[in-house]
Amino acid sequence: MKNRLKLLRTERGWTQEQLGQALGVSRQAVNALETEKHDPSLDLAYRIAVLFARPVEDIFENPHA
Amino acid sequence: MFALGKSSTAAQKRYVIRTLAFMGGYSLVMVAIIFGAFDMVQKTPAAWVLALAVSAPICGQIWTTLAYMRESDEFVRAVMAKQFILAAGIAMALFTAWGFAESFASAPHAEGWLIYPLFWAVQGVTAPFLKSSH
Repeated sequence: MKNRLKLLRTERGWTQEQLGQALGVSRQAVNALETEKHDPSLDLAYRIAVLFARPVEDIFENPHA
Repeated sequence: MFALGKSSTAAQKRYVIRTLAFMGGYSLVMVAIIFGAFDMVQKTPAAWVLALAVSAPICGQIWTTLAYMRESDEFVRAVMAKQFILAAGIAMALFTAWGFAESFASAPHAEGWLIYPLFWAVQGVTAPFLKSSH
């Protein structure tokens, strides 16, 4: 799933490890999200949205829209 | 999923340590059997106990894998499940094919316990190519 996670993370100067800790997931999971090797669950997508204070649709492109 | 690095999580470290412990236990029993340490129990009730003892590390490995999946995030859990299912499936398919080859194509006999090292060999070959949860 296409997303702006890497852009949002680097804007804040965070490493994948730091973002993973903030979300409660592994660095591998953050890397997989950024490289589109993993589509997040609804729960994780909302956690990411809350962390960046943005709607989910601003971070993840809706593939069905 | 088997290498430990500085970014490894506590769950990954526990998984690797437990896996090495169970694989080590299985290997030790196998080496002991090869060198005849259990020859005296052949065709005795103790042989059944030994057979169950050999399978104990495999049960331990299943528990280790499930514990790791429970302690991990959704991405690691999904990839782990894919790797395990693929390795187990291929190992079962190969061993089943070999069994029929033994029965109908005069293939040499393969001991049943070989399926466990076969599972790990297949896992070692396939896991590096399974890095996506899709």
